[in-house]
Amino acid sequence: MLQSIKPKRSVIFAYLIVPVVLFVFTVFVPLVAALIYSFTNWKGGPTKTFNGIQNYIDLFHDNVFWLSFGNNIFLVVACIIGQIGIAFILVMLINSKLVKLKGIHRTFGFFPSTISALCVGFIWSMIYDQRRGLINWALVQLGKYSSAKNAPIWLDNSAAPIMLILAIPLIWQYIGYYMVIILSAVSSIDTEVLESAEIDGASGFKRARYVVLPLIRNTLLVCMTLCIAGNMKAFDNIYAMTEGGPGYDSMVMALYGYKVSFEQSNLGYGSTISVGIFVLSLAVIGGSQFLLNYFMVDKYDRAEAKAKKIQDKQARAAYKARMAEMKGRG
Amino acid sequence: MKRKVVSVMLSAVMAATLAVGCGSSSNDSSSGSSADSSTDSSASTETSADSSADTTAAADADTAATVNSYAGEINFMHFSTSEEVAGKNGGADAFRTAIAQWEEANPDITLKQDILANDDYKTQIATKAAADDLPDVFLLQGMNTISWSNQGLILDLSEYITGSPYASAYNMDYLVPFTTGGKYYAFPALTGGTCCVVIYDSQMWSDIGYDAFPTTWADVEAAAAAFASSDQYADVDTIAFGNGGQWQMNSDFISCLAYQYTGTDWYADIIAGGGNSKFTDDAFVAALTETQRLFKDTSIFNSNFNSVTNEDAREYFIAGDAAAFIGGNWDWSYIYDNLKTNDPDKFANMKVAVLPKVADGTYTDNFQNIGLGYGVAISSKVASDPDKLAACVDLAQYLTGPAFATYVGANYALGGFCSADVDLSAFDQQTVDFYNFSYVDNKGCEIYDSYVDGSVWSVLNTEMQEMTNGSKDPATVAADTQAAYEAYLAG
Amino acid sequence: MAEMSRTKKIDTRQKIARGFGGAILNILLWIFSLTCMFPLIWMLYSSLKKKAEFNADVVSLPSMPSLDNYFSVFADKDADLIKAMFNSVRTTVLSVALIVLFSFIVGYILARVNFKLNRPLYVMFLMGMLIPIHSLLVPIYVIFNGAGMANQWYTLLFPYVAFNLPVSLFLVEGYVKGIPSALEEAAAIDGSGFSRTMFSIILPICKPILVTVAIINVFSCWNEFSFALVLISNNKDITTVPLALKNFTGQFTSDYPKMMAAMLITMAPVVILYFVFSKQIIKGMVAGAVKG
Repeated sequence: MLQSIKPKRSVIFAYLIVPVVLFVFTVFVPLVAALIYSFTNWKGGPTKTFNGIQNYIDLFHDNVFWLSFGNNIFLVVACIIGQIGIAFILVMLINSKLVKLKGIHRTFGFFPSTISALCVGFIWSMIYDQRRGLINWALVQLGKYSSAKNAPIWLDNSAAPIMLILAIPLIWQYIGYYMVIILSAVSSIDTEVLESAEIDGASGFKRARYVVLPLIRNTLLVCMTLCIAGNMKAFDNIYAMTEGGPGYDSMVMALYGYKVSFEQSNLGYGSTISVGIFVLSLAVIGGSQFLLNYFMVDKYDRAEAKAKKIQDKQARAAYKARMAEMKGRG
Repeated sequence: MKRKVVSVMLSAVMAATLAVGCGSSSNDSSSGSSADSSTDSSASTETSADSSADTTAAADADTAATVNSYAGEINFMHFSTSEEVAGKNGGADAFRTAIAQWEEANPDITLKQDILANDDYKTQIATKAAADDLPDVFLLQGMNTISWSNQGLILDLSEYITGSPYASAYNMDYLVPFTTGGKYYAFPALTGGTCCVVIYDSQMWSDIGYDAFPTTWADVEAAAAAFASSDQYADVDTIAFGNGGQWQMNSDFISCLAYQYTGTDWYADIIAGGGNSKFTDDAFVAALTETQRLFKDTSIFNSNFNSVTNEDAREYFIAGDAAAFIGGNWDWSYIYDNLKTNDPDKFANMKVAVLPKVADGTYTDNFQNIGLGYGVAISSKVASDPDKLAACVDLAQYLTGPAFATYVGANYALGGFCSADVDLSAFDQQTVDFYNFSYVDNKGCEIYDSYVDGSVWSVLNTEMQEMTNGSKDPATVAADTQAAYEAYLAG
Repeated sequence: MAEMSRTKKIDTRQKIARGFGGAILNILLWIFSLTCMFPLIWMLYSSLKKKAEFNADVVSLPSMPSLDNYFSVFADKDADLIKAMFNSVRTTVLSVALIVLFSFIVGYILARVNFKLNRPLYVMFLMGMLIPIHSLLVPIYVIFNGAGMANQWYTLLFPYVAFNLPVSLFLVEGYVKGIPSALEEAAAIDGSGFSRTMFSIILPICKPILVTVAIINVFSCWNEFSFALVLISNNKDITTVPLALKNFTGQFTSDYPKMMAAMLITMAPVVILYFVFSKQIIKGMVAGAVKG
């Protein structure tokens, strides 16, 4: 934290009050309400009967909830590897001098994350569909199956694990999202840093690994946090494609909470599930941040210190230049 | 699945209310004549349908007088979207028509309609019920009757139903889902239609040697083998079914098939919570076991039945990829409308049949489950304003009364809460067949999920999907359902 | 210059290898890009088909392209799409403006200013990202309704800003942390006050990440459905596009070409915006940060 910046408390207060109040009112007040409901057997309507921690005991023994939790963890892992990993590689590829039309790849790559999850669910349902789907259409054209009727039923947990099938659209949709975030971080690295690394004879891989990666570490941490948070509360795509089926095979926590609340009108227990999701997500994020910090700090510290030194020097020069420019203008 | 995409469909449970498609045509006369029929309580409904324009006008004036003492807003939430009207959904069409007529007759009242597609409607109404903020008038799903009335959310409408000017024409059986503690909480709305009908292409079946749809599952299995070994239909599924939304196996299948094992008394006791019937009873487990066998161990159904919806499955039938289809009246109307418009040859072969018999069933009636899944209910908050309450009651009576019934009878050969004469001679053979199937030839039985509670059906529906996939056995499904049922009874 | 002399030394075989590698690289990226665009293209031409034609062959081009599906979507009586578009634009623009402003201020303060509540606030916002909104819809409705804030034109701004704020401000925060603090130190020595440093020195540097934040949020606000359903569905005058399009479900969910037409209409404004301005957007994102 920077010591030289010490605004008055009232200044900070003035800047923070509106966003913080808005945030607390919209996000935390309902959460606290849910916390209160979670100790009742509220079935909707005005009557709520307090029933202690019974809901939490039920939750602890609820196999479906823990199965859903496992599915969420699977999504987290699959998406960290699939989304952030592939996005990072793509950014490195796009930044290569050998690639033409970089702008087009950036524009196209981001496109899927502009579509709503329901559209994505619809599109992929069409891709996976047994009879009229694109995958089986291709398999039949290739002669693997005599007709689509004999081809795999992708969304039925019989041809391949259903969670893997569902992770693919999710990964596909958000690669571009992380690509843009990482691109903007990479673009903030001074080109001279990269060029000097190139002059030093670093290969593309080494540059990515030892120069770029440490410099965008903070951004990558943010990406991973986003990815974990997003997948711990995954809902839309799965709701659109399988509704958690077949049976509970692709159930995730948020969908289960939604079903309990709206399909079973069991709002007390539904609130308990919400609180459970929240607490478990906190635990997973906390754990992962600890691990990430632990590993990444050690490994990249030295490389980063070196790179940062160069950047600082350049920053000071840049600042002087800017001030000079402003003075010149003014 | 696609459809889920956008939603979960017509939603769960019961789209029972949706209707049949229609064939005929003249919408012209309807609005005028139907409006009239309503008001005169002394005249029987049948005659009122024929009544002349002048009587009607007088009647309208009467209605208007009672209602006009209230001037202001009434919030009204329902799910008859204009898309459904455009899709020849008879119930939705007549419902919207009746609403428009009532609005016109009551210019001082602003009817604020909130019209959502059925699945969104259910989310929204559940949220509002939870927040104790129900709209003045709305459509109540049968299975919510008990819990919402216990919480005092909805008004006891017994006196308005028994005292209704149309009471003599009401089919009181339809009130069962909306009755608890001897009180009625809603006017059954929209149209009464079956939830389980076999629709088949008679040409395809006669090509493999069946003059009519088989009456036993054993014969259906034999037919499946015959289809598979025929040159012409080797790639055709015998029956198309879609359970991707998980509710279909309940509403459109087990809720009809199980009656062959349990009879009607068993379910009556489940509804009443009498404690004599359990989901773990041998009869119900046998029904589950047979369901598992039919879907998992035979080649009758399309193999992807658990990952496609009824909308997908009926397209297989329409396209000739399946020789038959099992679904509800809403599927019938969709198929009817589609084939009539696009494929007259296939349309000529469109027939309906009752669900075939199991080999080990106890009851041999031709069961088909039928009912009205939703009723017009009134929020208990309205009671504080007697004028407004009178207007809301009038609206509820009008929307479920003769105006609705005659329109839907004359245009779609469908029936509702209020009976009206249907002149079958004006309809084509397919419509007449379906009318007879629904109201004449077969024994009506209850639709499971019009009753009890969503918490029970959610468990049964989800686990039946696992069961028919082979990953759960019928006894476990029955035990889990019973556990959810007991939790519901315990309150 | 050093590089030029080095390249001269590279012999032809290496040049060929490099060209070959470049070709593979380009091909890989093109495969990726086309995969991303394929759904749009496929939906575009499929929406011109009739249902029967689509069901017979999902891949082929339409034999008789027709705009009927679009006409029938616009003809729907319950869905006033034009009005819904206006509402969506208003909600999206206001929400995104507030998100960008708040996320910059809060993100910068959390990254740089040392005060007692810094960590608690950081954790609070972090926790905000973990809230499973779909199972909290009921309490949210209860609270908004109780406060008389449901079904107003501004209702959706609250959840859209609040629920998108954490992600956005963490992007900003992470980005600001990557900016050398020497810049601000120099400014402070120069006598620049806190507000001036924040808005005239840091803000321009943060332009790439703020553009990113804006883009990401335009799409999430435009596409949002659950809050709209629960919080504003009672008021047809303020309905948003995703809500209006829900009228096309029901019986027609198996009419895929029509569904595609409806979806394309929803997507159209933002997609057009995106492609028209993609050059500027990309430029904004890629513009080097610490430049004089």
